[in-house]
Amino acid sequence: MKSDKKEVKKVSPQVSHRRAKLTLWQKLNRQSTAGFVCVFPFTFGFFAFTLIPVIMSLYYSFTIFDTLSAPKFIGLQNYITLFSNDARFLKSLGVTFFFTFTSVPLRLVFALFVAMILVKATKISAIYRAVYYLPSIIGGSVAVAILWKRMFATDGVLNTILNSFFGLFGIDSSFDYAWLGSTNTAIWTLVILAVWQFGSSMLIFLSAIKQIPTSYYEAADVDGTSKYRQFFSITLPLLTPTVFFNLIMQMINGFLAFTQCYIITQGKPLDSTLFYTVYMYEKSFKDYAMGYGSAMAWIMLIIIGVITLLLFKTKKFWVVGEGEQ
Amino acid sequence: MKKKIALLFVGVMAAFSLMACSDSRETGSADGSKTTTEAESSAADGTTEAAKTSSTGEAVTLRISWWGNQLRNERTDAMLKAYTAENSNVTFKNEFTEWDSYWDKLATQTAGNELPDIIQMDYKYLAQYANNGLLADLSPYIEDGTLDLSAASEDIVAAGSVDGKVQALCIGVNAPALVYNKAIAEEAGVTIKDNMTMDEFVEVSKTIYEKTGVQTNIAYGNGDNFIEYFARSAGYVLFEEGQLGTPDDSVFLDFFHMYKQAIEEGWHVDPSLFVEITPGSIETDPLVSGKSWAFFAYSNQISAISSAAPDLDYGITTWPADNAKAANYLKPGQFFSISTGCENIEEAVKVLNFVTNSVEANEILLAERGIPISSVVAEEIKPLIAEADQAAFGYVNNVVTENSSPVNPASAEGSGEIQALLNSLVEEVCYGQKTPEAAAAEIFTKGNEILASKVAE
Repeated sequence: MKSDKKEVKKVSPQVSHRRAKLTLWQKLNRQSTAGFVCVFPFTFGFFAFTLIPVIMSLYYSFTIFDTLSAPKFIGLQNYITLFSNDARFLKSLGVTFFFTFTSVPLRLVFALFVAMILVKATKISAIYRAVYYLPSIIGGSVAVAILWKRMFATDGVLNTILNSFFGLFGIDSSFDYAWLGSTNTAIWTLVILAVWQFGSSMLIFLSAIKQIPTSYYEAADVDGTSKYRQFFSITLPLLTPTVFFNLIMQMINGFLAFTQCYIITQGKPLDSTLFYTVYMYEKSFKDYAMGYGSAMAWIMLIIIGVITLLLFKTKKFWVVGEGEQ
Repeated sequence: MKKKIALLFVGVMAAFSLMACSDSRETGSADGSKTTTEAESSAADGTTEAAKTSSTGEAVTLRISWWGNQLRNERTDAMLKAYTAENSNVTFKNEFTEWDSYWDKLATQTAGNELPDIIQMDYKYLAQYANNGLLADLSPYIEDGTLDLSAASEDIVAAGSVDGKVQALCIGVNAPALVYNKAIAEEAGVTIKDNMTMDEFVEVSKTIYEKTGVQTNIAYGNGDNFIEYFARSAGYVLFEEGQLGTPDDSVFLDFFHMYKQAIEEGWHVDPSLFVEITPGSIETDPLVSGKSWAFFAYSNQISAISSAAPDLDYGITTWPADNAKAANYLKPGQFFSISTGCENIEEAVKVLNFVTNSVEANEILLAERGIPISSVVAEEIKPLIAEADQAAFGYVNNVVTENSSPVNPASAEGSGEIQALLNSLVEEVCYGQKTPEAAAAEIFTKGNEILASKVAE
């Protein structure tokens, strides 16, 4: 090719000491330029819509900014107020941690359990796989959240079903417990919604399980180990990289959960379901305290970073790496 | 050659992706939970692509935004089309949302310097926007007659002024209206009279609960307006510049005691019910669903209530107050303001003039936002409006106008935050988590703090 000839010419000893300047056309034709141009759509989007706003939010976190007038610099005051004078902030942290640390393990357990059942490639299992995967696609949507809210209402589907269930035993009940209105149960409706969307994790587990060589199982069968023991000694250890991956991804998603809380409960009753992101939204957009909200965003970033770091540090203790037996 | 084609292709793709940027919805995670915050910012970008007003020549496009229900959307849209039919050079780009998210959207647009040309404005937020210089001064247009307000009462026009400059034009007058279920009241054998005192209201609620089992909803979750009314009855303007108008927390104490008593005696709707409904939305209100016999509404919501509950035989009376004359007021329901960033203020003012003075426009709107401020127009459309609105008209003109006092000045900055705090304190008192004394002390201290901090900025 023409360009190849040019490259060869460049490297030849006679001209190497001359270091001829490349013409614009030559520059454009280099491989690396092509690379830059190909990546350009993404990098532009990344800079304009992610990186620059993130840096601006760091700046805003040190200001009072009510979006109607210019930001006023106040240093670390936002951060200090958050930790010393804001009970709702601490409450929302607690609720978010509770939500993440209950829904994520439950989700992974269900995902693994169902994946184990659906490993056999029968026609029926393919249908089940699709059925279980469906909630994770539509589950994060506003429509499902509204549906969920209706479901748990005092006259919603759940209470109706429970009533007819009691009716079977001859108990004539008008059970109308307010699942969403009680501080004990409201958060669990959100946890259940998150756990219901285990489908995506399940598919990842499924593909990981299929990659385990069957020779291991055959060897174990020859030795006479029970299926139960096989699961804990073969399947689970070899799945730990996948578990690790899922754990990190789901944990980050858990901390950033917004839609469910905002649509279903908005933090009520009594802030028992106040997610961190919803509180941040309230403060930034409803109370016009954008600087405060930006500070909250950065604190969440640091929290997620620290937890991810900790998880990575524990990796060598429980995750079976490639090449290890 | 292949490389050149590849580069060309990528260049075209880049161009496409830039075009798509204005409406991008990234699909990062399967749950989509983290894309919401990104969607917020790209939605704000989306409006930048909206047609901007042209400063050359005749053709003008005005961006107009309002909040409301479906009825209002349809009628306003029809009215704007009627304006375009008469003035073919002006077209409109409508932006409407629900009340809940309207102010968030507006704040985001302000941050991006993308405020619409004509903004529907509310009394609660007027001061905030005006003090930040975001609203155009309409006084010169009133003086030279482009905006003809001769048929409107001066008080109502003055209600839209901040710092002596008229920055918002009232487009509908309404008044607090207690809408109640007549059938239930009759069943319980109580007569509801106008200008009830708080004690009478409590008695009536208790009787209704005893006789029929139907409970009451004392503006739960929407208590921000009722507390001001309550305070007015005691003689105080609640939100003053930099501090609360009440000298101590006694007003709040009475307020919270009322709720506590109502919950304990059982005649108030259970608070857990309210988590399931959207506060402030008419369609899900307990009056419509039959769980409450009363709804602390406003007179311009009556037509929406009657269309949400067509079988409801409703009556209208005043909100209960110990001192009805001090408490009741005619409220400028909504305003239209023009943003200072509008490039065709004169054209926008002409639209406002049309809304105010044109009988044709109001025949389309049919007083959905409240009674038109021009007495001429109000007279003309009275025979045309629906029965529900006529009842509202009658109520406002006969019951309230006689027995009311001027509305409080536009709420100071920070009032929104205090009202949100009030609602959550009412919730805590109703759930038994706080005593009325603790709640009253908290709102009194925090309220003063919040208002003072806004002045100090």
